[in-house]
Amino acid sequence: MIADITLGQFFPGHSMLHKTDPRVKICLIIFHIVLIFTAGNFFSLGLVVLFTFLGMCVSKVPLKLYVKGLKPILFIVVFTAVLNIFYGTGEPLVQWGWLKITGNGILNALFVSVRIVLLIFTSSVLTFTTSPNQLTDAIERLLKPLSKLHVPVHEFAMMMTIALRFVPLLLEETDKIMSAQKARGADMESGGILQRIKALIPVLIPLFVSAFRRAYDLATAMESRCYHGGEGRTKMRVLKLGKQDVFILGAVALFLGAFLLLNLWLPPAILR
Amino acid sequence: MAFLEVKQVRFSYDAQTADAREVLHGVDLEIEEGEFVALLGHNGCGKSTMAKLFNGMLLPTAGKVLVGGLDTSLEENQLPVRKQVGLVLQNPDNQLVAGIVEEDVAFGPENLGVPPVEIRRRVDEALKAVEMYEYREHAPHKLSGGQKQRVAIAGIIAMETKCIVLDEPTAMLDPKGRGEVMGTIQKLNREKGITIVLITHYMDEAVQAGRVVVMDEGDILTSGTPRQVFQQVEFLKRHSLDVPQAAELVYRLGASGVKLPEIPLNEEECVAMLRRYLAGRAGALS
Repeated sequence: MIADITLGQFFPGHSMLHKTDPRVKICLIIFHIVLIFTAGNFFSLGLVVLFTFLGMCVSKVPLKLYVKGLKPILFIVVFTAVLNIFYGTGEPLVQWGWLKITGNGILNALFVSVRIVLLIFTSSVLTFTTSPNQLTDAIERLLKPLSKLHVPVHEFAMMMTIALRFVPLLLEETDKIMSAQKARGADMESGGILQRIKALIPVLIPLFVSAFRRAYDLATAMESRCYHGGEGRTKMRVLKLGKQDVFILGAVALFLGAFLLLNLWLPPAILR
Repeated sequence: MAFLEVKQVRFSYDAQTADAREVLHGVDLEIEEGEFVALLGHNGCGKSTMAKLFNGMLLPTAGKVLVGGLDTSLEENQLPVRKQVGLVLQNPDNQLVAGIVEEDVAFGPENLGVPPVEIRRRVDEALKAVEMYEYREHAPHKLSGGQKQRVAIAGIIAMETKCIVLDEPTAMLDPKGRGEVMGTIQKLNREKGITIVLITHYMDEAVQAGRVVVMDEGDILTSGTPRQVFQQVEFLKRHSLDVPQAAELVYRLGASGVKLPEIPLNEEECVAMLRRYLAGRAGALS
């Protein structure tokens, strides 16, 4: 049951976005998120919505999956929207005592909810089309300049790779230990929160012990295979900007031009 | 000069502390290039310690280990030694580093600073050698035990080491996985001439080696071809060591009066021998 959790929710495929250089994707996603939060009127917001939607379609990942990813966030969306409705400024449309709803508040609520939804969709586009390994790889390369400042970039990336490798293993092991403890009469499903947390201790301790044992083995295996830090290390996969990367960058440049035009020329719809 | 030379090696864990216990008491062993040696012994006899001495993961407390003439105890020899001697451990899960098969195989050559194009070639070749090429893009945790262990072996092959030391590689596998791994080891030894040191406590695996070295309580008890070693059923039993099942059967038959000419090493030999014996008996009776 626990093993169902997939980290990063990678969705293997062969779409154009899957083949795009992960570095390009990370940069564009960050850039796109900035745009989402600076869109000030309906036209620029509409353009951002359109572009996000385009990205989702190009990824060839079923839209159902995107919507599914939205579910856990739905509460936050509704919550912030409701708060925003009541915190608007200007002439009240309706008023009960100190509670008032203004036109500006409604607009604010609308913008905020659209932005959060877009934020989730955009980051899903990245995680759905990029494997965790590609992500680590890209992050390592993007942060490479920091190693000049003695930031241990390679070591962090290696730790992330190993962590990703061992997540499914440890989940599986947790499952096994839980079954083993249940077979010995441990009760994990009843009682209050405190009792349930206590019931987890006999699961966590063996898990930790085994994790340390694994770490010792892994260190032996890595050293046996001549691992000696990032110095003088090469990579099998070399990231190179290809045709589709240039194409996507071009599309984004066009999008940016249109966005700036709409956002600056037209008056903002919401007050900040 | 032999490829691997172990000279009068003593080893204790926690050598500096008061409760140091010596696990190896002056072992001498030579292994030639291209040999397939099985190191036998029961738990705690020091055979896993030997595995880690071969590639300098552990250093002898006294004596010397030489790999291709290089002393493993010298700091500057550490990498050159490990480039020649690869180590495969017992638990297949704990020795795979990356989340994708081919990236894990690439880990060794990447550490050695091999150029990317060359790494690609070596990885493909290594995966084909262990017959795991179709699985190159899989995640390791979705493979069976035998498959994982073969990926671990491919990781060593890709480093193009001359020798692979395997520390009980089949101990955690089911019979099918065990067969796969043994097949791979045999093939590597025969076709690529890679020196194999197989540490095991399965007698039927030891029988497949060219030479068997039996260890007991931190010392070498006896060594020779499987046939020479397993003829000495009585001697091995005195040291509470097992023999292959076929040998055991013939030994017990001998004790109850059925004398066969020699001790068989595997089931087929045993069946053939018994058949001949029974035919002889039938002939004598009629």
